[in-house]
Amino acid sequence: MPLKIERISQQLDRMARMIADSAPAREGFLGQAQDCLRSVNADALRQKLEWQRTQQIRIPWLVAVPRGDLSRSVPAPSPPADFCVVGSDASSIPLDRHSSVRYYVLNVGYAILCYGQKPDAVLEASSRLCFQDQDLYVFPQKWDVPIEGTLLGARMEVESLRISQQAMQQISRPTIALRDGPLILWTLQNESKEVKQALLRDLFEAMDALRQMGVPLAGYISYTGSRDVANSLRVWLCQGRPDECERCESSDYDLCQALATIHDRDLFIFLAQGERSELFGSSSQILEQYGRHRVDFFYMNVGEEIVRVEVPQWVGADADLLGLLHAAIYDQCRRSPAVPPYPPALQEAHEQAVITTTERRLVEGMVEQALGRHGQRVFRSAKDHSKRRRGV
Amino acid sequence: MSIGEIIETTSTAFVAESFELNSPPPLGSLVVVQVSSETGTSTGLDLYAVVIYGQTVGLDPSRRAVRRSTDKVFDAAIYDQHPQLEHTLRTEFGAALVGFVADSVVRQHLPSQPPPLHYSVHTASVEQVRRFTNSLHYLRLLLVPHGEVPPPQVLAANVREVYQQRGVDRLWLDAAAREIATLLQSDHQALLTVLYSIDPGKVSPSTVRGGQI
Repeated sequence: MPLKIERISQQLDRMARMIADSAPAREGFLGQAQDCLRSVNADALRQKLEWQRTQQIRIPWLVAVPRGDLSRSVPAPSPPADFCVVGSDASSIPLDRHSSVRYYVLNVGYAILCYGQKPDAVLEASSRLCFQDQDLYVFPQKWDVPIEGTLLGARMEVESLRISQQAMQQISRPTIALRDGPLILWTLQNESKEVKQALLRDLFEAMDALRQMGVPLAGYISYTGSRDVANSLRVWLCQGRPDECERCESSDYDLCQALATIHDRDLFIFLAQGERSELFGSSSQILEQYGRHRVDFFYMNVGEEIVRVEVPQWVGADADLLGLLHAAIYDQCRRSPAVPPYPPALQEAHEQAVITTTERRLVEGMVEQALGRHGQRVFRSAKDHSKRRRGV
Repeated sequence: MSIGEIIETTSTAFVAESFELNSPPPLGSLVVVQVSSETGTSTGLDLYAVVIYGQTVGLDPSRRAVRRSTDKVFDAAIYDQHPQLEHTLRTEFGAALVGFVADSVVRQHLPSQPPPLHYSVHTASVEQVRRFTNSLHYLRLLLVPHGEVPPPQVLAANVREVYQQRGVDRLWLDAAAREIATLLQSDHQALLTVLYSIDPGKVSPSTVRGGQI
């Protein structure tokens, strides 16, 4: 066994001791951070963030722009008697660079769960072999910018929303659309404007359709690692420039540094079960491309977990849509048998989307057979062969 | 009536997925698989089998069912509150082959071929039950353990089911009890179990020892 478990075991012990030793200080700073959250003047913070933006002062972190009081909590309304929740998720067999055949597989899973007078469920998957130039490249005319890595990830997100939107067209009850993961596709941030626009076009089309149908959309992020609100508190505390911490002599310096390690999910622990926070705007650069579908977010206690929920602003601005979404998400979590809870519509969508190792091998074999029938051989790299055979 | 589809098959038994969740055919009841004529018979085969168990489990073997009841939601209401269960659970049943009908002749021994995978399973009509159970030779095929349900329980369940389907046929019941007594003459405890399961009011160790059956 090449992995030296004994070594790791010793290091593990050190790690556990280090975490335990720092726990009291962490708890102390968390308490101070929560006090800070309660005492912040939302208008003043918003103005400060806006002023820094207009002055082009670089804030080296993602920050949250509060749409209202930071410590406000909103209880979940009751869901309607009849309603549906459509969850979607996606997975892929990515392009294999060790193979001479260029293709990838997208598998979008969705679950339509309807509650009320006529309970019903549809659990489905839409699978597609992508092998043509328009599938393989962002700019197929020039065979430029291959869709792989983060671009394939973004393509999966967009495709899952597009497919689930098409699947829900026959529903006549109030419906919400839930996506597993963010709506803010920040992984595209470093791509060129043309690439962003090409990939986001389908996302916005699906969002347009949902808006016309009156279906609120949300990205559901469990165990979120976001620190946007904590970062805003750092800006609030900052007496100078947020990008010049090394010169800081503020008495809040230690708290500010501690906030860099505090997650928003810990700040919003004061939310009671079912309650959501106020809406926040995000400073993510990718949102500059979102236009009418710019995304806000809120935190919510779904029971044993504070989750982040991302919604387009047209949802946040409509009290009915936001209320329906809030109620349905909490209702989903109350129906979940898991602790912490997780929306059944997303769980079932995931089950539909997942591609097993056996299925991956099956597709690979089918591709080789199909090419073989047409007299074509699939070549694989020597490195790939050596990993598969592992001879001694 | 078609009630399920075969998902595992052997020379002695098969497993079928039930079309209706939580409703496998009754334990001990007769089911029929119709096989088209490829084996030299003019009209095909009707394979007869006795249901030996039923179970409802997660569709995906790696997903176990979990508790979902609350103070206010329990039993049938759980399925209304969690409509996805109809798609994530499955009910299956096992059936032991006990004979077949070929060219209108009832044969009570194992067929030469197992029933084909994915073929439909039907409930046996009253007429089919009556015709097949006129002879009791098939009961000895139920003495072989096939699964978790002990053979005496399967035997007794079959006798109860057939007795009712034959229109509370007392003569048939007496004949079946005698046949079982003969088959289990060397296993007194098993015989008692079967007879008690058929009619607890009339069975005691002394009735068996006294030769009343």
